[in-house]
Amino acid sequence: MAAWPHWLPLVVFAPLLGAVLTPIVSLRSRHVAPWWALAVMSVTSVAALFLVLRVASEGPFSYLPGGWQPPYGIELRFDEFSAVISVICLIGWLAVLYSLRYIEWLREVPKERIPYYYALLLLNLGGMIGFVVTGDLFNLFVFLEILSLSAYALVAFSGEHIAEMAAFKYLLMGAISSLLVLFSVGIIFGITGSLNMADVATRIGQLDSAAPAALALAMLAIGFMVKAALFPVHIWLPDAHAIAPSPISAVLSGLVVKVGIIGLIRVYQIYYTSGVLDLHTLNQVLVWLGAISIVMGAFFAIFQDDIKLMLAYSTISNVGYIVMGLGLSTNFSVIGGSVHVFNHALIKATLFLAAGALIYRTGYRTLTDLRGIGRSMPLTCIAISIGAISIVGIPPTAGFLCKWYIALGAFEADQPFFGFALIFGALFIFIYYIRMVNAFYFQAPVHPEILEVTEAPLSMLAPTLFLASLCLIMGILGRIPLAFIEPAAARLLAPLGG
Amino acid sequence: MEVTDIRVILAPAISLLCAALVFVAGSNKHWRRFWMLSAATLKLGVVMSMLPGSLQGTVYTWDMIDFTPGIGLAFRADALGMFFAAVSSTLWVITTIYAIGYMTGDEHRVRFFGFFALCVSTTVGLAFAENLLTFFLFYEMLTICTYPLVIHDETPDALKAGRKYLTYTLIGGAFIMVGSVIVYDATGTLSLGHPGILSAELGTRTLLLIFVSLVGGFAVKAAVMPLHGWLPSAMVAPTPVSALLHAVAVVKAGAFGILRTIYNVFGVDLLEEIGFAVPLMWIAAFTILAASLVAIFQDNIKRRLAFSTISQLSYIVLGAALLTPFAATAAIVHIANQAFAKITMFFVAGAIQRTTGKTNVHELAGIGYRMPWTMGAFTVAALSFIGMPLFAGFITKWYLSLGALESGEYWVLAVMIASAMLNAAYFLPIVYLAFFKAPPGTKLRVAEARPTLLISTLVAAAYVIVLGTTAEVPGMPFSLAQAAVHFVFGM
Repeated sequence: MAAWPHWLPLVVFAPLLGAVLTPIVSLRSRHVAPWWALAVMSVTSVAALFLVLRVASEGPFSYLPGGWQPPYGIELRFDEFSAVISVICLIGWLAVLYSLRYIEWLREVPKERIPYYYALLLLNLGGMIGFVVTGDLFNLFVFLEILSLSAYALVAFSGEHIAEMAAFKYLLMGAISSLLVLFSVGIIFGITGSLNMADVATRIGQLDSAAPAALALAMLAIGFMVKAALFPVHIWLPDAHAIAPSPISAVLSGLVVKVGIIGLIRVYQIYYTSGVLDLHTLNQVLVWLGAISIVMGAFFAIFQDDIKLMLAYSTISNVGYIVMGLGLSTNFSVIGGSVHVFNHALIKATLFLAAGALIYRTGYRTLTDLRGIGRSMPLTCIAISIGAISIVGIPPTAGFLCKWYIALGAFEADQPFFGFALIFGALFIFIYYIRMVNAFYFQAPVHPEILEVTEAPLSMLAPTLFLASLCLIMGILGRIPLAFIEPAAARLLAPLGG
Repeated sequence: MEVTDIRVILAPAISLLCAALVFVAGSNKHWRRFWMLSAATLKLGVVMSMLPGSLQGTVYTWDMIDFTPGIGLAFRADALGMFFAAVSSTLWVITTIYAIGYMTGDEHRVRFFGFFALCVSTTVGLAFAENLLTFFLFYEMLTICTYPLVIHDETPDALKAGRKYLTYTLIGGAFIMVGSVIVYDATGTLSLGHPGILSAELGTRTLLLIFVSLVGGFAVKAAVMPLHGWLPSAMVAPTPVSALLHAVAVVKAGAFGILRTIYNVFGVDLLEEIGFAVPLMWIAAFTILAASLVAIFQDNIKRRLAFSTISQLSYIVLGAALLTPFAATAAIVHIANQAFAKITMFFVAGAIQRTTGKTNVHELAGIGYRMPWTMGAFTVAALSFIGMPLFAGFITKWYLSLGALESGEYWVLAVMIASAMLNAAYFLPIVYLAFFKAPPGTKLRVAEARPTLLISTLVAAAYVIVLGTTAEVPGMPFSLAQAAVHFVFGM
């Protein structure tokens, strides 16, 4: 089964097509929409599973629609980094399941619009999958736009009073970054006459002048940094992620910011292979911005009382880890950073889904209001605790090994300062998670009725607990993803001669 | 001889299972007690069943899954690890009995006993860790698991102490992680199964960085001055927790980490060569004296005991830093000697508090008439700390002094004598008050603590005497310590 070549186009077009059809299939009853979305995501997940199995056994492979050879035809390319679609499918599937009850509960959302929510969610997931597996620069931009536009709309969907404002801020920053990406794709096409990434990589290397290539690189890097919400271009993120409906927060924080990271990896693949520029400066910039993001994200989070806002700021810290790992550009650090793309997605989805369950049951969203909730919703709070321990990177949870690898990378690259920054920055993060755990378990409730609530319904509780257990499993069985991503990291860094 | 043996992971697994049972189905008092007591006894049995083999030099190992490519979650019960595991398993039985009596009627007993069992599980995991990564894993888990115990009362004071505890220990943990990363980067291994994995070729700068990170990180939990701040604050915890923190789990994890760093990461030969142990020796000696001086002025019983702990732990550090076989013997056996004596004292403090409500030294006048057995146990422990022959503490001082002479550090003898006098100065007044200062005019009747508290206190005190009198009897912990020393020094 895994060898069937058409899984690759299927994995992209199933969710996109499913999205377009969602309003149609739910014409008669809006209750069809979530089940339809679930079915679509199931098909996509099966396809993703086979693709990941195939890449694990035979390495990267391509799909050429219509059999046109690149650079003339378009190309879908699946390498180990593309395996991130497994997490996209998993979290997407769980988010759909979770939305079943959650979206119905949002009072501000008109019921007849709910099918559009699922359509947008599928569109977003499909856009991400497409972005991750495309082999062409222009398609990269197209998928980037698909996923960004649907993300803006999803942020606004919750209907809370600042939702439009948050979505607009997100749109503004997102549009600028998309423009930068588009311009640089244009420049690259202008100087090389090609859009296929592998082809571009060889052609850029043969150019006389490196200046336009450098300009394109700078714009691409900045564009993807905005999408990844790296400090100081993170300003759109906290409001957008905190205001969005909780399943969407999980998708946005866990997955959509990772698009920026994957974009950066693709840029690196092109420029490292071409050897046209010495990327040392860019690497140093990324490492510094990564370190600053870790600290600043944690710093801002400390002052938040709103639980989802806190989680949103911690995403900035974690993106800092990943970017630092990429920037250090040693074997260990790139492996650690890439695996953290997976692990952080799982951890952050756990946290946002659990936080959503608390909000769903109590209606409160600040730590002060939620005091004592650990007694009435023990399972959800255990999930949050596991997520918190994972994100700080305490063994044996998923966050630890990535931290270990990135720190090893820092020492390997002979930049021990960043190893320290990483390890001690993580402690900073712990400060606000311990506040959360204290509030849930060890402080007297502000609202006595909070002791009366019960656990969230199964469609919300099960995804949360499943993800929480993955946070532990990915830590204990951490060698599997590490070994899986290793060849890709080695290939990425091979042109550096190390 | 190395043997693959499941008992190495069975020991931590038993307490882990016990914790799970307590959490999931611990609301019934009788079942909870049954699980805890049977798990504690079972585990003691498992550890003790490895003792004969261990004394003959057998090392039991068990490799679990690979944690990262190249570094496994692996366990290895060598003599040093066995020593620590045996001490903590024995104390778990006694402390469980005591805690059942002490915590009767408390609101959050399920949580308390669940995390209590988890702590013991991680302690044994730590004792048997084969590499630094496994060690670090359990070390950090221990931090997390003790936090709910420290803030058990949920008062603002407790929460504040909990924050302080976490701040200190997690920063220490971060240093250990830095140290481990550098060790792995420099050598490509993290194994703790050799008498030293580093070599002088790494350069002084790298070695110094590793030494400071690892020893500094472990010194936080070992409460070496000036990193001791968390320990007196953590006294807000219930008494069995203080006993656990002070005698078995947390502080010993730090001390044990220092021993592992000195003996298994650096190795005595390398440390002798590069001389990093000398400053550590001075710091430990300073801590011994300074903490004792502070202890004299504490009126709260538990705070006085806390500073005494700080002082006593540095015996272990000092013994390790002297780098001679005799001193190493002292360092290792002091893990047990200090543990039993100090746990006796905490049991006494808790029993007095539960029975009479008194928490300060000046209130203790005449308490010996009311609780003669309890105060008798306290006297035994006090004499042990002072270093009277026939009590456990004497063994430590004797070997530590021998070790100091062996390495030519004669000033250590002066420290020993001063410390003995200081110990007398802050413990004997309590004994004096208890037995010789009956408040005039009151009629004193014997009203001992409830049996669970009293029995466990007396058992712990009996151990102090046993350890002090039977050092040369084969099969006692002392011989295990000697086996560890032989491995470390290649004798």
